[in-house]
Amino acid sequence: MKPKLIIGIVAIVGFTSLLMYNFGESISTYTTFEGASEMSSAHIPGTWDADKGAEFSLETKKFIFYMKDEDGVSKKVVYPKPKPNNFEQADQLVVIGEMKGDTFYANEMLMKCPSKYNDADPSQFSEAAQG
Amino acid sequence: MLGIIGKILISASFVTSLAAMIFYFISANRDQKSTLRIGNWLFAAKAAFLVAASGILVYLIFQHQFQYYYVFNYTSLDLAPRYLWSAFYGGQEGSFMLWILFTAFFGFGLMKWTRKPYKAPVLFFLTLTQVFLLSMLLGWDIFGLKLGASPFRTIAQEMPNAPFLQANPDFIPNDGSGLNDLLKSPWMMIHPPILFIGFSMMTIPYCFAMAALWKQKYNEWIGPALPWTLSANVSLLTAIFLGGYWAYVTLSFGGYWAWDPVENASLVPWLIGTAGIHTMIIQRKSSVAQKSSILFAILAYVAVVYETFLTRSGILGSSSVHSFVDLGLYNQLLAFMVVVTGVGLGLFFWRYKEMPSPEKEAKILSREFMTVTGAMLLLILGLVIILGTSSPILGKLFVENPTPPEMSFYNDWSMPIVMIMAIFTVLGQYLFWKKYDAESLASALINPLLVTSLVTIVSIIVGDVRNLYYMVYLFCGYFAVFGNAWVLARLTIKNPKVIGGSLTHIGFGLLLVGILASSAYNSALVDQKTANYNVAVEQGEITDEQGFKVTQKEEMLLLNMDEPVIVDNRYAVTYEGYELDNTIRRGQQTYRIKFEPIDGGKTFYMNPEVYPMLTTSTAENIQWSVDPDVRTGLLSDIYLYVGGSSYVQEQNDQTQENREMMQNASAQDTISAEEPNVQKMNLNPGQTADVGKFKIRFVNYARTDSSELPPNTTIGVRAEVELIHPASNRVITLEPLFAVYSQDGQSYIYSPPARVPDFDLEFQFTEINPQENSIELTITGLEEEYEPEWVLIVADEKPFISVVWLGTFILMAGFSISIFRHWGREKQKNAE
Repeated sequence: MKPKLIIGIVAIVGFTSLLMYNFGESISTYTTFEGASEMSSAHIPGTWDADKGAEFSLETKKFIFYMKDEDGVSKKVVYPKPKPNNFEQADQLVVIGEMKGDTFYANEMLMKCPSKYNDADPSQFSEAAQG
Repeated sequence: MLGIIGKILISASFVTSLAAMIFYFISANRDQKSTLRIGNWLFAAKAAFLVAASGILVYLIFQHQFQYYYVFNYTSLDLAPRYLWSAFYGGQEGSFMLWILFTAFFGFGLMKWTRKPYKAPVLFFLTLTQVFLLSMLLGWDIFGLKLGASPFRTIAQEMPNAPFLQANPDFIPNDGSGLNDLLKSPWMMIHPPILFIGFSMMTIPYCFAMAALWKQKYNEWIGPALPWTLSANVSLLTAIFLGGYWAYVTLSFGGYWAWDPVENASLVPWLIGTAGIHTMIIQRKSSVAQKSSILFAILAYVAVVYETFLTRSGILGSSSVHSFVDLGLYNQLLAFMVVVTGVGLGLFFWRYKEMPSPEKEAKILSREFMTVTGAMLLLILGLVIILGTSSPILGKLFVENPTPPEMSFYNDWSMPIVMIMAIFTVLGQYLFWKKYDAESLASALINPLLVTSLVTIVSIIVGDVRNLYYMVYLFCGYFAVFGNAWVLARLTIKNPKVIGGSLTHIGFGLLLVGILASSAYNSALVDQKTANYNVAVEQGEITDEQGFKVTQKEEMLLLNMDEPVIVDNRYAVTYEGYELDNTIRRGQQTYRIKFEPIDGGKTFYMNPEVYPMLTTSTAENIQWSVDPDVRTGLLSDIYLYVGGSSYVQEQNDQTQENREMMQNASAQDTISAEEPNVQKMNLNPGQTADVGKFKIRFVNYARTDSSELPPNTTIGVRAEVELIHPASNRVITLEPLFAVYSQDGQSYIYSPPARVPDFDLEFQFTEINPQENSIELTITGLEEEYEPEWVLIVADEKPFISVVWLGTFILMAGFSISIFRHWGREKQKNAE
């Protein structure tokens, strides 16, 4: 084989493996509060534990609420930004951050809002009909 | 009825498309003119059916025919006509329709301008994609096998099991659920059409490349395909820009780019299309790179289809902030993708051996090598982004249930790639127009290198850049700007028609510099105390009650009304109140935030907005949405949104009360209301009293003898009182009544309450003191405790966003100049 071809193949293989390795490192798996204890940036899906409320504290400038993860465990979550739009409406939250003791510090939060398409709410229709 | 016609029209369009495809195939196979003509007529019929179907959908939307699910789901009675238009492509079905319409329209262009032998095969492949796209709209149900989702399905068809429909099958809602408030933006009106023009045009290079493989003519297709590819590129770039700008000024994530799958979906085809443009240009010039041109043309469209598959099949589920509607088209989209990719790459490898290859290898310092390498880098960048976007599928190789990659994955890989690209643009442009060897090239580059170094050093000092990697990156970006500017200057003197390439590369360089400045040097505007706190957090000096290190910084600013706060040692920022406005959106507040530069610059105001999302808010639960304000400057932007305010808080408390009252009412449980606060005050005419957050001004009083007075009235006086709410600039004028009347020989006082529903207050005029010339007012519901009005803002300073936009505009301009040049040549050829 020509040396150039070999260099080319080595370069491609090297690049691809590095890329895939880095890709594998930069993704993680969705987890629970329990699984998050060893991770520095954990993605935890769950739902807002509405019974325990949610409040933005003007003193600490943090939004604090409780979230139930997929195991049903409810933990305090601290989010350093104002309460996001649609927070109450979201049927799923994904908090990204780390666990410290019994509190989860979320640096980012994603909200999945119910698609109007999948679960049309009948009450919406009757309301519209009256209006 | 119209819906059924619409459905039939779409089916007719599908069937004629299929027939046109067959005729085009025969024509291409046998080089027949007669079958080509039949194909064209069928194609035209298909387009006519589709236009008619679209017309019906538009008509249904404008007539508010809410029995149709699409109309119900995306529009409402109060929607302005311009947004009714955009509702046409607001949903998946309509956006498919728009996409097909544009492609059909360009099909006529291809019929007119494409020469033999490409004409029939090009139209065959174009129609093939149309057949697939049309199948998404069919709404056929063949023995339980669902094919497509029709935009004309009714609510009853959509939700056959809904109880309220089973009770009343002819049920028609009176109003629709409306368009998402965030999409009510002029940017979002023009963004989708331009995007789909780009997607449609990107089909055309694919068709030409396939035709070239079919007819084994690997060179001539470049001529007609190049201007189409360039146009597709300009459209996609414009669409990306509009989407980014919309996200920046409308959403509160604070930037124009977030590597979201939807953004990547238009970026990757653009990158690969740009790679194709590079190889097509060099193929035309030097008759090399035939294989790469064909491959890139195929891959650019494959990327369009693959990203469509990712974003529309529901596979991205939880990895994007966008909510993707799953229409159950997974299998159809998958089939579309497999066919486009399989036929494309299959034919490519089938013909691979017989395609021309270069006889000798290109020297490194040649325009051929530089251009092809540039194209390869663009492809690699595209592939890296595809890999990241595909994390829900490819991530399964590593973990179960994979999350999307961290943003740093995209940034870490794209930065070195674009840095190499930046260097290559300059070398490539120099070599493109003149032959150099290493020595002469080096000496030609001395001047641009000097300027680049100088500007880089100045930027590093002025911008306080401390990161070595950023320094090198800046150097590369500036090198692309100044190196290409040198070429541009030379070309402008000689032949200004050919400056497209060098201008584009200058835009690319500027874009690189702007992206770094605006994202890496973005700073939150906070007061001194918070800034000190954040520094301490950064150094790990802060611990919380449990002894854990605090890592989260505070990036918000709390402003009490009329109390200036010094921010960033540069501005005195004052909250001056808010304006309530129901004309644009019901319940919208516009906040007035004053910025006074300390060093004596010009004072300016920023006016962020907060409004209830009408589509999702109810009396018991208000969904607030924010509209940031952006102050655009040459050197830096200030971006600011409201994270909360005393007004929003009060409204929320109010709805909370409503909710509790409703719950209690349903439980038949009456709770005793709290004793309302009652206050009395004496005022002389013209006097103003400060009470809590209000000012109350007694203007004057006058005798009245209106019919509202009780019979046998001896005195009837009406006072004019102004209730002033300084925070929202509201002045409410009240005219409480005071009357003395006699009944059965006795005198009674009549003072009916004047209500102020906005603040839940009641005013009563309860006494007149003629000696002191004053009146007594009794006010019910006024909180004595003074709670200042406050607003919580998140403000960022983003340097040099203007350079990002400038770079983008120059890219667009450069590509456009190239379109004219290459299209002009094509037109000449057609005339011959």
